[in-house]
Amino acid sequence: MTDEAEWIQLAREGDQAAFGRLVAAYQTPVYNLAYRMLGSAAEAEDAAQEAFLRAYIHLKSYDPQRPFSTWLFSIASHYCIDQLRRRRITWLPLEDEFALPVRFTSANPGPEATAARREQQDQMQQLLDVLSPTDRAAITLHYWYDYSYQEIAQTLDLTVSAVKSRLYRARRALAERMEDKAL
Amino acid sequence: MNCEQIGEMMSARLDDCLDDAEMAILESHLAACDACQVAWHKMQALDRLFTSAPTVRAPSLFRVQVIARINRREQARRTLVGGAALVLGTVALALLVLAPLPFGLLKTLGITPALIGGGPETLAQILSFLNALAHTLLVLIEPLAVPLVFLGLCSLGAALVLNGLWIGAVRRLRAA
Repeated sequence: MTDEAEWIQLAREGDQAAFGRLVAAYQTPVYNLAYRMLGSAAEAEDAAQEAFLRAYIHLKSYDPQRPFSTWLFSIASHYCIDQLRRRRITWLPLEDEFALPVRFTSANPGPEATAARREQQDQMQQLLDVLSPTDRAAITLHYWYDYSYQEIAQTLDLTVSAVKSRLYRARRALAERMEDKAL
Repeated sequence: MNCEQIGEMMSARLDDCLDDAEMAILESHLAACDACQVAWHKMQALDRLFTSAPTVRAPSLFRVQVIARINRREQARRTLVGGAALVLGTVALALLVLAPLPFGLLKTLGITPALIGGGPETLAQILSFLNALAHTLLVLIEPLAVPLVFLGLCSLGAALVLNGLWIGAVRRLRAA
């Protein structure tokens, strides 16, 4: 049994420390997914915490035949999609008056590289803002988690052909937005 | 093959999901269609941008906050269950205290011997009893309305106080 499988088994029996190890292992991927979906550090933090809480509550319904990451990302994606749909006007993030800074996984890039990265970061989030919640989830899972069409379909409860269509439409929309911003 | 279909093939090409025949079709179309060539370059630029995108790290203390959130949820659930149990217990106690009243009425109206003996007269007597009970209660309640309301409010207050004491005890135990 792998460490992860052991932690999951212990957590299902109520071992909170074991669940804490799962949180530690997946906190960055889940937070990154939520951040890419919601575009706000504060909302991403809340959404990621809520995703883990829901995973803890429903851990007994997790099927060990399925990868734990897929199941966890499915919970996080669906929660973020619901949050985006609740935003009344558009899919743009709410005004983050006191925007929390974000940290990247690469360590010590230097000040110039950090500034360039933040600019790239902002550009990407502005591009992602044009996408529908489900398209945004598909693009995020594809580019940040290298998920195959099949894995994206399983995570988002879609068919493989639907995933292909969504990725194509999302890329087309993003490319048009890139051109608009360049003009 | 139209440009929309070629667009879908471009997307699949980025994911290395085209076979040799499809690749040949795509390349042949791109060689002949300027608009699709431009679209293909844009998609490639987009792909480079997103492929090199960094991963955003979770805040420090994130794990601690998740565990705290789980504990708050567990505490809220226990409080709700405990409060419900306390209220039900109070109601059950009140019913036990008031239980002799209907039995006393049964005996007074002489229904008890009929119930024990059984027979066809029993149903008629039960209906007669219920009718008499209703009339008796109405007669009794009228002068007792104020004390009954007062008793009800006191019971509710006692239940709330006991609930609050119980929650306080649980919190102290948790802190310990």
